[in-house]
Formats: sequence, C-alpha cells, structure tokens
Amino acid sequence: MTTLTPTPGDTTVRRPGPPTATAERRAPRQGGTGLAVPALIWYLVFMVGPMIAIFVVAALHWPGMLQPVSFAGLGNVRTVLDDPVFWDAVRNTAVQLAVALPIMIVCAYMLGYYVAQKPPGHRVIRYLLFIPGLISTPAKAMVFYAALSPDGLANGALESVGLGSLTDAWLASPSTALACLIALDVWAGIGFTAVLFAARLGSVPDELGEAAQLDGAGHWRTMWLIHFPVIRDYVGVVTMLQFLWTLFGSAQHVLLLTQGGPGSSSTTLSFLVYQKAFIAADLGYSQTVGVILFLAGLVGLLTIRRAFRQTY
Amino acid sequence: MKLGKRWLPAHILVWSYAVLLIVPLYYFLASAFKTNDEIFAHPFALPTSFGFGNFRTAFDSADLGLAVVNSTLVTVFALVLTLGLALPAAFALARSTGRLASVMEKVFSLGFLIPTFAALFPTFLLAAATGLFHTRTFMVLFLPATAMPLSVVILVQFMRTIPKEMEEAARMDGASTFAVLRHVYIPMCMPGIATVLLLNFLTFWNEYLYSLVIIGPDPAQRTVQVALPTLKSITGTDYGVLTAGTVLTLVPVWVVYTVLQKRMQQALVSGAVKM
Repeated sequence: MTTLTPTPGDTTVRRPGPPTATAERRAPRQGGTGLAVPALIWYLVFMVGPMIAIFVVAALHWPGMLQPVSFAGLGNVRTVLDDPVFWDAVRNTAVQLAVALPIMIVCAYMLGYYVAQKPPGHRVIRYLLFIPGLISTPAKAMVFYAALSPDGLANGALESVGLGSLTDAWLASPSTALACLIALDVWAGIGFTAVLFAARLGSVPDELGEAAQLDGAGHWRTMWLIHFPVIRDYVGVVTMLQFLWTLFGSAQHVLLLTQGGPGSSSTTLSFLVYQKAFIAADLGYSQTVGVILFLAGLVGLLTIRRAFRQTY
Repeated sequence: MKLGKRWLPAHILVWSYAVLLIVPLYYFLASAFKTNDEIFAHPFALPTSFGFGNFRTAFDSADLGLAVVNSTLVTVFALVLTLGLALPAAFALARSTGRLASVMEKVFSLGFLIPTFAALFPTFLLAAATGLFHTRTFMVLFLPATAMPLSVVILVQFMRTIPKEMEEAARMDGASTFAVLRHVYIPMCMPGIATVLLLNFLTFWNEYLYSLVIIGPDPAQRTVQVALPTLKSITGTDYGVLTAGTVLTLVPVWVVYTVLQKRMQQALVSGAVKM
C-alpha cells in the first residue's frame, strides 16, 4: 500500500526564488546534501534501474533465461498484438477497471460521508474498515478461496436456504472467475478508501453542511452538491491510487485464485506480464506487455486527473 | 448534522458491509479450532473445544514456524536499513536550501508513480546478477528501496517543522552535524519515525509477489506470505488447517493494530495520500 501520488503542486511551491550555486555554498547550515546520496543511490539501483530495464528487455527476443538473446526491435510488439490471449487480457482488465473502480469510489465516498457524520457506532465501523488495509494479499485470497471454493461458504449458504441449484464452482467457471476477482477488489477496496474519504471529509467545516441544511437540502444533496465539490481533487487522487492498485495489483489475486483460467477468462494484463516471464519464459513478450501496462497506467492517471480537476 | 429516520437504509447498508468485513475473520478464527466435519455442519457455530491441533498441523506441514522467523528477520532488517537510509536523507533535504536538494526531493516524490510490480522481472534479473537470487538478503536490500520515496517525504515533512534555532543552539555547544541529527532531529521527529515504521512494517510483512519470485519456495528461506498459500495444496481442503495458518500470519499485524490503533490509523491515512 505504498504506491503514492504526489499532490499536484505539492513539490513546486516550496522554494521561492532561484537558489544559485553560491547561495548553496553560503548556506548557514552545514552538513549538506551529501547525506541524501546513499538513499538516492539505493533508490536508483533498485527502483529506477529495473524500471528502465523493462524498456530494454521489451526490445529483445529472449525465449528463456538460459537461451541466447537477440535484438528484436518492434518484433515483440507485433507478436503481442497478434496474440488473441493479449486481447483477452485487455478486455478483462478493461472490464475489471470499468466495474470495480466506479463501484468502489462511489460506495466508498458515501460510506466515508456516513462515517464523517459520526453516527452511533462510528468508532466500531472505522475500526472494521481498516481490516482490508491490514491483511496481506495471500490472506485475502485465502478468505475468498474459503468462501468461493466448491465446498466453501457461498455454496454452503445457498444450499442451506434451499437454492442448491445455484451453486457453482465460482472460481473455476469461465463466466464467474473474473467476477470473483472484481468482487475481491471491491470488497477490499471500499473499506480502506472510505477511511481516506472520511478523514478528508472530517476537515470540511461543519458550517458548510449546516448552511445547506438550513436551506432545506437533505443529506443526499449535501453529500453530492456541497461536500463533493469541496474534496473533488482529493477524490481524484484517491481514484488514481485505486486505479494503479487495481491495474498492477491484480496479478497477485489472479495468481492465487484462478491462475488466469479457465482458458484465459480471468487473465489480466498484469498477470500476463507475470505469466509470460515466470511460467511461459517468453521474456521479451512479457516486458512488452509491461511497457504497454506502464503506458496504460500513465494515460489512465492523466485522464483521471483531468476528469477530477477542481472546477471552481 | 442530525441523522433522521431517513438514514435507516444507510445504517443497514453500512452495517451489512461491516458484517461482510468481520464475518470472514470470525469464520477463520472459529474454523481454526474445528475439524472439517464441524466446519461443514455448522460453519458459524462457536468451536466446541479450543485445541491447537490445527495450528500444530499448519506449523508442521508448511514449516510455518520457520517462515515466521524468516518474515521477522526480513522485516526487522529491512526496517532498520530503511531508517538508516531515510533519516540522513530526510535530514539533509529538510535543512538544505540548494537546488540540488530540491531536485533530489522531486526525484523521490516521483517514485510514488512507479508501481513496484511493474519491474518484477528486471528486479529478478538484478537479484540473479548480484548472486543474491534465492536469498533473504536481497529482499532486505530491496524492500527499503521501495519504501524510500514514502519514508523520505514523510520524514522531510516532520523535520521541516523543527525550528532552526534548535540546531543553532546545539552548534554553539560544539555539536557536529551527526550529533545534531542524533540528539536534536531524531528525538524531535519520533512521531514521523513511528509513522514510517508502522507503514513499512505492514508493507514488508505483507509483501508477497517479490518474496515469491526472489526468495522462492525453499522452506528454509521463504517468508510466511509465501508459505501460507502452499497450505492450500498441501492439505487439500482441510479448512481447519488452512484457516489456522491464515490466522497465524495475521496475529502480528493484529497485535500491532490493536495496541497502536490510533497511531496506526493516522499512519495509514497519511501514508496513502499526501495532501
């Protein structure tokens, strides 16, 4: 949960005036920037280096760790674009984002508003909402495995209320595998996102809502027409975060729950990157998808930021 | 604002979601003390006896004890290294007024935009190239790098609030730069350090995909998050053992969360979005 997004303008407003080299030397405090160098090197070697390497490997023909490597140029792009599995993955990822993100953000916003009004029991609710943010991906996957496997909770519940005919092997059926993954995203996403919204809504002055109430606005209108515009750009930042988590994080859920199957019915783009690298050993292919994923992330971020730009 | 009768649907919806969050955990906790037959017959009944048989089986069949030790080692050493790198860096950036420092700070904050997952395969190559593939050492070295942007930015924010007179006074007494960091800055930004430690404790302890690929499945080295899913294939569908194992991996996080609830919530909120 450490993928972050800098606030627009956050880093730009700090230093007024262009500091020159001499100003730096004259600076009254001693023991300068050198102390930041180890951290910077660490970060460049382990994060930025591998990031750049994606683009290099994407241009290579590399059919396995111990196989000879040759330059492929854009050959991998052609292979990827001709592969129907890639297009299945694009479709699955698009469906996943288009369903999970709006549900998550809208529900989390309303839930956050609810908690921010401090109704009875809001402390308990708040404590519980953190749960998905605390447990690890394998543990979440175990929860869903226990719930959705053929003899799991969901089927047990269906049978006990006499709807045994509706039972299904949820995770192993082509029509429901992707839906299960989306359900996991939504289940885990709403709680933590709601907490973020509640924290931000808590700092909106009470008078704003009270004034709206005096004018006869109900909670529904206050929530969407008064509070939402105030924290609009915050909602945008949180949406960007959830977009990134869903886009890149789905590989782990897919790996743990469905392995992309049956067929390619639950293969997402990020799982395809993993699968081609570590299972199919087609490294150039894998990293080409990685580059596409990276670009998709970038385009998505810019689009979301534009959509949530402050309008007043 | 008053919440009227019309809020009834909202109360119901919110509490049903809360139930959805808590029921799986209750089910896991209860099932950890039951046999498969009991689980299928009465999934939500309280366990009739509190034997630790399932926990023992989980421990033995997936070597969970060893895995907990490995996870603890990786988490602790990675946390120490994170602080060792981030504290001097934040100290330097918070006090410096130079252009170089502001460029560095920008480089760190851009790191928020790099999704760690994207570079999984190149990181794997790096591990192989350094001869640290299939070792915990590489994870100890690697995890702090992923935590660097967040840790540095949070610590810089805290250190900027420390008045520079504090440093000047220490300098008058002949303190070196290191002594200023050690005796002035570190004691004064303990809340920031706590936030960084809590957030990174969660991420490091819960890290899965990189541990799986880089440390690998060797029981002597693997972490608890890698060991946990193997219970599914080892035990087939023995839910008692599966849930007992899951509960075991959640205990450390749970203890920390319950003891430091307020602080942890603040840390999570402030760590997710820097506004």
